[in-house]
Amino acid sequence: MAADVVRPLSIPVILGTQRTGRMSEHAARAVYVELEKRPGIETELIDAATLPIPSDEAGEAAKDPAFAETMNRADAIVLVAPEYNRGYPGLLKHVLDTNLAEYIHKAAGVVGVSAGIFGGARMIENLLPVLRELGLVTIFWDVNVNNARTRFDETGVLVDDSFLAVGKFLDELVWMAETLRHGREQITIGGPA
Amino acid sequence: MRPELACPRCGTAMNHQADKLREPTSREEAQSTRRGGVVIAVFACPNCGWIASLRRPDDA
Repeated sequence: MAADVVRPLSIPVILGTQRTGRMSEHAARAVYVELEKRPGIETELIDAATLPIPSDEAGEAAKDPAFAETMNRADAIVLVAPEYNRGYPGLLKHVLDTNLAEYIHKAAGVVGVSAGIFGGARMIENLLPVLRELGLVTIFWDVNVNNARTRFDETGVLVDDSFLAVGKFLDELVWMAETLRHGREQITIGGPA
Repeated sequence: MRPELACPRCGTAMNHQADKLREPTSREEAQSTRRGGVVIAVFACPNCGWIASLRRPDDA
């Protein structure tokens, strides 16, 4: 258990869209700033659009070593993505698909972003089975950034945080990250030899 | 047969924490299983937290 105490939790934030004018970038930064304030947590903001991942390869062939190492080190991930016609961005799926073992028994929380009233809720519902297949453990709190065009000012600062409950979302994510770290490192599948 | 692995980073005996089915990535892999995928054993290091995996030796 000593290693658990010494090692901070690693919880990177992944921004999963490349579109110009993306409001998700502001949402990702807002969650990243909140994570940074928490003691015992290391975080970084990863822009999926800047990862050197080829679009015509998959899996190991498309793997970016730096991103894979970050996912290996992670105890949890926060995915921030907009809802495009009820779905998640293809870029996010492509990036996630480049790893597998690195995700297993790690926590995942999703921040949905939309210009409309649902705050990416339908995107999140579609993303959940993907995360499950990747071995990630999803939490039951989401952040639904609805009406995104009025929640941030011209510089991208969050000026209306009503009903977002980012604190509750992060509390649950951190609890799951700590619990799963213990399980990964201490509890053997199938029981003791 | 329980798979075992030493951490490639710090040498500590890793904890076998999961078995995961994944799709075959080559013709050889596809021909080596009747399961529709191969089973990988996933390990975590109790010292440094590193994750590593290998195909289960008893999967083929």
